[in-house]
Amino acid sequence: MAPDRDPASPPILSLSDEDLMARVGEDDERAFAELVRRFQGRVMNLVSRVLNDRECGDDITQEVFVRVFVHRRNYRRGSKFSTWLFTIAANLAKNEIRRRVRRRNWFSLNALQEILKDSAIQLADPTEGRESRMEREQLQEAMGRAIATVPEKYRLALVLRDIDGLAYEEIAQVLGIPGGTVRSRINRARGMLKRKLIPLLRREGEP
Amino acid sequence: MTCAQVVRLFGAYWDDETTRAEREWVEAHLASCASCRQQYEAFTRTLELVGSLPRVEPAPDLLERVLSRARRATAAPDLVPARSRGWIPVTAAAALVMIAGWLALPWIGLRNDRRETATSVMAQREPVRLGSVVAPAAPSGPAVAAPTKPEGLLGAASGLRVRTDSLFDHTEDVEFILDPVRLQRGRATVTKPPTIRGEKAVISF
Repeated sequence: MAPDRDPASPPILSLSDEDLMARVGEDDERAFAELVRRFQGRVMNLVSRVLNDRECGDDITQEVFVRVFVHRRNYRRGSKFSTWLFTIAANLAKNEIRRRVRRRNWFSLNALQEILKDSAIQLADPTEGRESRMEREQLQEAMGRAIATVPEKYRLALVLRDIDGLAYEEIAQVLGIPGGTVRSRINRARGMLKRKLIPLLRREGEP
Repeated sequence: MTCAQVVRLFGAYWDDETTRAEREWVEAHLASCASCRQQYEAFTRTLELVGSLPRVEPAPDLLERVLSRARRATAAPDLVPARSRGWIPVTAAAALVMIAGWLALPWIGLRNDRRETATSVMAQREPVRLGSVVAPAAPSGPAVAAPTKPEGLLGAASGLRVRTDSLFDHTEDVEFILDPVRLQRGRATVTKPPTIRGEKAVISF
């Protein structure tokens, strides 16, 4: 699969993502493995957070990289590899969200509100005093569910920005929307999330 | 700056994407407005929580599974011999040649027999029948609906000719011709001579 390389060529670890992808285009499996190593964590985190489902995140992460390999010759040299990769990941995550919506297999808002209410009651317990480990885990779990209830187009922008830390311009490229739209989607997603989490946001010392 | 304007700038302020003037406005407003300050604290707390979510780590064997699937995905096409699609243009070209040849037959004289047969059939029929005025069929040569009364209805329709090279004879199908029809740029115009009194016509093809 991998063509013989000139021994004088730079070691694979020192290559940029784009150079690695160029080698993948020449069927270099080692270069592909290195790209998977570099990005599997980010892709897994993105997809799992968008879907709030680790198992499904694993499947889709696999699918993302398989598609990268299958369509390796479609990669345009000169474009940023991570943008192309996240575009594939975002599209597959969107497809999965839509598939779930079609199957009516998602968290309903009412169910979430119940969960949040329960969590808020537990978190508001004055005997706790400060965030214990269990409290934090509950909070994170509730947060994950709250993110999952944000509408798809806002959720993707939010996760790409606030979890994966992409710049606005890169999000615009990944989602194929103008920069101003990215900004407004992120703002709206944050506002929605804040409203959903208000019951959980009682800080230490507050009644 | 109003509270609503400040709230709209929370995101940009958090991302450090405000102008210097906007930043100063937001900070001045937050210093003086307890409600907005409380809202901003909730906003920042939310984003801190989002940012503090633990990273979902991939399974240790993910890389191997990806490589295995990638190998299968690329190997699969090799197992089935690629079916050549070279026959598509060849077939299309052959079909075009056949159609062109068929269309060219009348011009190279190979279909004269059929045309002559049609013409001879037409020659034995009445080309046009108009009420009591009948245009006699010519015994041979091109069949022309020649007017017997130049100023009459046939005179107005004298421009009509039977196409001798047509494979089909439609002359018997024409029951009446009431108005001469002139075609100009795809639009039919009818000039009704004063001698015509017809109210209804049935034209069948």
